[in-house]
Amino acid sequence: MDRIEEIRSRVALHEYGIDNVHTTDFPGNYAGYDDSWSQEKFEKNFRIDVKKLDGDELEFDMIGIDAAIANAFRRILLVEVPTMAIEKVFMYNNTSIIQDEVLAHRLGLIPIRADPRLFEYRAEGDMEGTAEDTIEFQLKVKCSRNKEAKEATAPDEMYKDHKVTTKYLKWVPVGNQSEIFTEGDIKPVHDDILIAKLRPGQEMDITMHCVKGIGKDHAKFSPVATASYRLLPEIILTEPIEGERAERLQTLFSPGVIQLENRKGKKRAKVVHARRDMCSREVFRHDDLKECVKLNRVRDHFIFSVESTGILPPDVLVCEAAKVLMAKTKAFLTELQDVEIGGRKDA
Amino acid sequence: MNAPPTFESFLLFEGEKKITIEKDTKVPNAALFTVNKEDHTLGNMITTQLLKDPQVLFAGYKNPHPLEHKFVVRIQTTSDYSPQEAFTNAITDLISEISLLEERFKESVKERAEGEI
Repeated sequence: MDRIEEIRSRVALHEYGIDNVHTTDFPGNYAGYDDSWSQEKFEKNFRIDVKKLDGDELEFDMIGIDAAIANAFRRILLVEVPTMAIEKVFMYNNTSIIQDEVLAHRLGLIPIRADPRLFEYRAEGDMEGTAEDTIEFQLKVKCSRNKEAKEATAPDEMYKDHKVTTKYLKWVPVGNQSEIFTEGDIKPVHDDILIAKLRPGQEMDITMHCVKGIGKDHAKFSPVATASYRLLPEIILTEPIEGERAERLQTLFSPGVIQLENRKGKKRAKVVHARRDMCSREVFRHDDLKECVKLNRVRDHFIFSVESTGILPPDVLVCEAAKVLMAKTKAFLTELQDVEIGGRKDA
Repeated sequence: MNAPPTFESFLLFEGEKKITIEKDTKVPNAALFTVNKEDHTLGNMITTQLLKDPQVLFAGYKNPHPLEHKFVVRIQTTSDYSPQEAFTNAITDLISEISLLEERFKESVKERAEGEI
């Protein structure tokens, strides 16, 4: 690869620093390159490849796109895709040792499995809520002594209902919700999240309202546990590395990155899975090896990893993020049509 | 406590405009676009897209203060083009990029699902 091409498309990892970090392929920057944006060019270069889709986890490659857009996606996944979460807590009775406000906060963080696309945002100041914008849950627990286990010393045997978990949250249909949803549609994602512990005589009587919201308002509305991307690593061996050096080289990278091949009775190092590397740069601490290895990252190859909280599947979340971003940009177009232009002298 | 309410970061105040444009009177074909209730997510995306336009001479954005939920984009263009046109074109291009992204993503997920059966 020639020098210019390398500057344009690779981030170089060196012993004491990282070079060519920023996107520089803009029109006018390089003589002989046409860097202006065109639909055909984008369609030709852009690729998405789903690598892993397993339950709540998704890993996919997004190739041929600018970091700004990849980052917009990540940011939108984190804070702008809506979900439902407990927002209002009405405490009629709480004699447990956990304080009302702490309990309310804990309840708010419970992921609620309900499709946010079927609900509206609740109007500000509305305390009642309607079937379109509210999910109601009830939590009514009273702890008692287990009379049958007189000799027992373990709390699990001595007491009944002493662990308040999400299993105790009971969905109460609002308005006509019972016609639209069935019992299993709306419930906490996990039924074994411990909310509080009680002792005989202590009780809780709580009603909760779930509303639609976004992560910018409160992290409890965030639909993902994590959403991140990294760039595809590229490892180039500039000369053959054999014998003891090859074995040592293998240990300097993440497992599975370097494979040893038999070449005329000698072991020779070969890069087989650069993708698995974590880019530790450990190799640069070995003076005899650092000159033979080039570490790069491909600037427009993003390895996205999205881990859902379980409310929506991760592939649906990515589509939702695309929709949110689309709605935002489309709103800009309409907004631009009827905007007035003001002048300023000190600009 | 004196923390501002969190919804201020995404709900427009009463009478507040989403976008306002101010012409730069000292430099020809330059304007400042102030976008309210948006952050680096869109600011950076739009600026980078503007830079890909050969007729845009300057494009940059700033978030004037971290507690004010807005960003300002400054655009300067060549004489036969206007900042508004550049802004509109950048957004149109972004829309097609995002729709292609969504489409290709769905295809890829579908392919994978079919591959597993």
